[in-house]
Amino acid sequence: MPMQDLIRLLKDGKSRSVGMIAAELGMSVEQVQRDIEFLEQNGIIRRIEFSMCGDCSGCSGSSSGEDRKTCPGCTPEGGFKNMGVMWEIV
Amino acid sequence: MTDKNEIVIALLGQPNSGKSTLFNALTGLRQHVGNWPGKTVEKKEGSFVYNDRKYLAADLPGTYSLSANSDEEIITRDYIASGKADVVCILADSSQLERSLYMLSDFAGIDVPCFLVLNMDDVAREQGKEIRVSDIEDRLGIPVVLFSATDRKGYDKFYAALEKAVENKPLLNSDALEAKYGQIPEYVSIRSIIGDISDNSKSSMWLAAKAVEGDAPVVSRIRTLLSDDKAAEFDEAVKNIDKGIVKTGECKFAWIDELISGSVNKSKKTVELGKFDRLITHRIWGKAVVVITILLGLLASFIPALPFMGLGSAVGMLPDPLNEMMINAGCPAFIAAIVCDVLIRCLGFVIQMLGFVFGVTFVFGLLEEIGVMARISYVFDNTMAKFGLQGKSVMPFLISFGCTMGGAAGTRVIDNWGQKVLTIALSWAIPCGAAWAVVPMLSTLFFGAWTPVIIAVILIVMILHMWLTAKIFGGSLVKPENRCGMIMELPPYHKPKWGALMRYVFGRTKDTFIRSLKVVLIVAFVFWLLSYTSSGDASNTVLFKVGQAIEPVTMIFGMKWQTFTAFVASSLGKEGALGVLSTIFSGTGTLSVGMMAGGEQAANLNELLLANITKPEALAFIFAITFNMPCIVALAATYQETHSVKWTSIIGLYYTFTALVLSGIAYHIGLLIW
Ligand SMILES: Nc1nc2c(ncn2[C@@H]2O[C@H](COP(=O)(O)OP(=O)(O)O)[C@@H](O)[C@H]2O)c(=O)[nH]1
Repeated sequence: MPMQDLIRLLKDGKSRSVGMIAAELGMSVEQVQRDIEFLEQNGIIRRIEFSMCGDCSGCSGSSSGEDRKTCPGCTPEGGFKNMGVMWEIV
Repeated sequence: MTDKNEIVIALLGQPNSGKSTLFNALTGLRQHVGNWPGKTVEKKEGSFVYNDRKYLAADLPGTYSLSANSDEEIITRDYIASGKADVVCILADSSQLERSLYMLSDFAGIDVPCFLVLNMDDVAREQGKEIRVSDIEDRLGIPVVLFSATDRKGYDKFYAALEKAVENKPLLNSDALEAKYGQIPEYVSIRSIIGDISDNSKSSMWLAAKAVEGDAPVVSRIRTLLSDDKAAEFDEAVKNIDKGIVKTGECKFAWIDELISGSVNKSKKTVELGKFDRLITHRIWGKAVVVITILLGLLASFIPALPFMGLGSAVGMLPDPLNEMMINAGCPAFIAAIVCDVLIRCLGFVIQMLGFVFGVTFVFGLLEEIGVMARISYVFDNTMAKFGLQGKSVMPFLISFGCTMGGAAGTRVIDNWGQKVLTIALSWAIPCGAAWAVVPMLSTLFFGAWTPVIIAVILIVMILHMWLTAKIFGGSLVKPENRCGMIMELPPYHKPKWGALMRYVFGRTKDTFIRSLKVVLIVAFVFWLLSYTSSGDASNTVLFKVGQAIEPVTMIFGMKWQTFTAFVASSLGKEGALGVLSTIFSGTGTLSVGMMAGGEQAANLNELLLANITKPEALAFIFAITFNMPCIVALAATYQETHSVKWTSIIGLYYTFTALVLSGIAYHIGLLIW
């Protein structure tokens, strides 16, 4: 029961990379990625979205309105892109 | 079949399976776009003729599955089950069959003629995969085509399979999948309650599986098909299912794995972890490597900082000659003093500081661009658990290196209030971007080549500070059972995008310049006014008198009244300290000249500072401002995020207190050294 094992694994509070999960559960990386996609699509885990700057009134360049995830004074355009992806159990 | 005698073929596939490519290749320009009845979901149809047969292709919305998660999915499955399509063409990506066949497995149980298209054959081949189509065909009982939708020459195979499907009306063999479902007790009980009912082409197996998944439209549909007592029994059975979607999902994936095992040959290509990845994921060395990486990064950022330092101190030389010039030109002494003592000196200071902002932003921006920052956060992730925090707290911490306000706002991803407050409390211990500019600058001024050591010590103290703070506040804020695990996927290494990086670095430097100059100027101006006397004898000012009065106390922490005042001003923003230093220790209405040996006027501020502050005092001062509250706005941001006056004031007072304690310790250690 690989996906139930995966969910159980996450209950211990530790964080793991996809590779570590694959090794621990004896699956291939592709299988783990597939399970993650499935669990995300079905709302069992969720991708963590970071709002980088919030209301950063401190920065002159902070954009206002709906799309206030980033401000050019604190983060590069469009936020940090290469920080990897994190998921957590909903 | 439509009224115009067209055979209807529905294209079903996940996003990026190549559905549009296939659709366009089949229909060319004979397309029209409409909406599905009553919904705003786009409906694309197009016609084509092959071997004198007329076809109408319907491009269904690309969705992950056929569950009831979205309108698109419900439209799609109701359309294919309605029988309006004569044949369903299911697409999958050959290069990743184990995941892309999920659509097929979710379709299994809908009894409509169909065939399977394994698209992206070229990509699969490139990966060294060899797919035996006939094996898969045997197992599924439907035609299977392996081809590339982008390769026009391979379409014969596609049309052949299409014709076969139209003529033979093959149904997907789902016995093996049903056998797997049979191992789920919930499925078995629901299946026995609903018996052999079906809904259009949705078989009882499909309906029962969806009921196990808790699919609301299917559940209510089944209820209408059952007798009253059966419906009650059904409701009872459905109510008690927990995470049914995971259970059926496992069956579907197991079915897929069986389907492709033996039919796909993969040339073995194990993915090797990169050298750096192996190093940082090492249990013992990982953290050390990361700390050294950060330290080297900070040191590297000194290189671009040096020219700024030079420029800044050159500007800092200007005031005295300029002052003379202005006085000679008949400018009132008061104005000349403002321009020289406040404006120019502050400008010099801020320029010196900017170099470090530029350097730090550049180096860490680069580390982020190439994917190293993600690995750093990965390494510290499990350390978070020791603090009683979620792994995702590592992100607000990293942001806090740039700006504590950003870090505080970043804690919005943390739903648990206690963890959120603790994360903010700990993020205060992380020197922010302004600290990383002011502190290296002052260190270079006082300790020259020893600066790297100071920076290293600050990093170590920061870690201990966070650890201790977590110990102090953790107990009342977080419970270990609130923790749950996380999955992280590291990004591949990238080549940096220099353009975007440089825009970011310059943008941030400019931003910091404007903000710092504002803070420094305001603080400097206020203190200049407080210390200005027309007589030139500052010892009569209130500031001086109060300062002298509190000095016995502030010396406990290793700070003379001047540096202590600068420390207080640093609560407004670390740059504020520079504003105080630049006015108190310099200028025509100076407080410090009298203290200088021989009473001779020093050439510039840097020398003045060196002459007036001893090394142990400088060390104390550096620690005091580094670990003081980040800035007044961070205090406001903390309140905004925690909505707690109590915790905001606890955190504020705690940091003021610990900063003083740290500065006292630094002073006494300094006394032992120098
Ligand atoms: N190499 C390769 N690329 C393909 C093939 N079929 C589609 N693509 C590409 O895959 C991407 C997604 O295809 P698209 O038709 O838009 O997918 P859709 O989202 O299912 O409509 C496009 O960039 C296509 O050019 C194929 O057989 N081989």
